[in-house]
Amino acid sequence: MSEAGGEVAVVAPRGRIDTNTSGELERTLFGHLGAGETRMLVDLSGVEYISSAGLRVLLKAEKAVHQKGGRLVLCSLGQPVREVFDLSGLSSVFAIEDTRERARERFAEGK
Amino acid sequence: MEAVRTLVVPASRPGMRRVAKDFDAFGTARALPPEVVRAVQVALDEMLSNIVRHGHGERGEGHQIEVSFRLDEGVLEVTIEDDAPPFDPLAASPPDTTGDLASRPEGGLGILLTRKLMDEVEYERAGDRNRVVLRKRTGS
Repeated sequence: MSEAGGEVAVVAPRGRIDTNTSGELERTLFGHLGAGETRMLVDLSGVEYISSAGLRVLLKAEKAVHQKGGRLVLCSLGQPVREVFDLSGLSSVFAIEDTRERARERFAEGK
Repeated sequence: MEAVRTLVVPASRPGMRRVAKDFDAFGTARALPPEVVRAVQVALDEMLSNIVRHGHGERGEGHQIEVSFRLDEGVLEVTIEDDAPPFDPLAASPPDTTGDLASRPEGGLGILLTRKLMDEVEYERAGDRNRVVLRKRTGS
């Protein structure tokens, strides 16, 4: 689910993020946070769909990362995932980039 | 090929997984568009998790949920029935999706998403059961 990515932790969940799988994503994200990694890139390209259970985990992680002065950037949302973010009004809440490269630039630029 | 598929599962997370798997099979057998299957899977996750969370607690403890899928003239109808105390998920107030992050509630998104992803969502108390009906046009 994760890979070494320099000083930015990359998390790339796959398949469905729903009530049954959101706990695994939460453990992964908060595992990084617990290890002191507060710069996180979540690549959603392999995600088939996401329900509100997954959105809540991402919101919770974003809040926790923000409180520690870090940054969480989402990237590579497929159309079904993007639609759920748009419908729930969360697209403006998260930092979202089209590609992983653009997301990495976001960290490099520090903006 | 059956026009209606009905299954009864425990009101629990394993029960939810069985419904998701069954609906995948129904969608494949009826050649439903992938975007319709994904939207309905999200709505099922929202509605069933509501029942599991509010209805009977995490364990289900002997309670069951009956789910049926029906495809008729380009409309997919999903009916979900459970024997929990009366609970209308649609009566919950919609979450504020315009506030800033700090003031944004983390719950309540599921109902909002379900309403937006489906064409119709209905609730009724039928005897001693809650019944939620979801309808989605399949575009065919």
